[in-house]
Amino acid sequence: MRKGYAFILSGVALLLFGSWTGLFVAPPEKFMGDVQRIMYVHVPTAWNWMLAILFSFSCAIAFLFRNNMKWDSRLEAGLEVATLFGFLLCCQGAIWAKPTWGVWWDWDPRLTTTAVLLLATLGILALRSFVEDPMKRAVWSSVATIIAAVDLPIVYFSVKWWNSLHQEQSTPQTVSSPFHLPLRVNAFGVLFLMIGFIMVRTRIAANRLERELAEPELA
Amino acid sequence: MTEGVISGGWQFVWGAYGITAAVFVLYGISLVIRLREAKGR
Repeated sequence: MRKGYAFILSGVALLLFGSWTGLFVAPPEKFMGDVQRIMYVHVPTAWNWMLAILFSFSCAIAFLFRNNMKWDSRLEAGLEVATLFGFLLCCQGAIWAKPTWGVWWDWDPRLTTTAVLLLATLGILALRSFVEDPMKRAVWSSVATIIAAVDLPIVYFSVKWWNSLHQEQSTPQTVSSPFHLPLRVNAFGVLFLMIGFIMVRTRIAANRLERELAEPELA
Repeated sequence: MTEGVISGGWQFVWGAYGITAAVFVLYGISLVIRLREAKGR
């Protein structure tokens, strides 16, 4: 578990530096002013939320093809971290939306598809808590994750496909150069944090699975 | 406020950073507790 904690500590250090740069060094944006500084935590959370969904999708595919329960433990970890990041993403987005759009929430395509995916991952975690048989739990949640992940490209391209209130994807090409450093540092900070969280959470899921498989079946 | 330009708004910035820090710290603590419980059983 030392690797997991090392990733978490590295992530925290990067986030502290990136956030300090974003809050006190980077200049305010021309139109959004200081409110734009929310981007330095919101966008890295969004990128890594998508990565967590992709990771969960890969684990689901790997489990169905290899039938190895270690992929189920990773899937559980990925889904929980994706749900956490999705929740955080919606909170940060709402806080940014209020001063820029005038509302906390809008049923805009980007926001709606994100909320659908957040509810889907939450639902799969709920499904996992209801099913006691480890094999059924693994198969059902893998299938449900693959179905839910269909929403991911829709979330990503929603700002291009529809006339969205949400701005286009933030990339080094669409963001001015003075904003690059805090954005990049925080992106790696959240990435390291996510990797550490998933590693530790996988260990917890694997421990529970070992106990379940070791328990004698009641008649 | 100038037309089309947002002035102020630091309370929203602190709110976003605060909730981000709180979520990460609380989740990290929950992981440590759950891992200790899992190992202790």
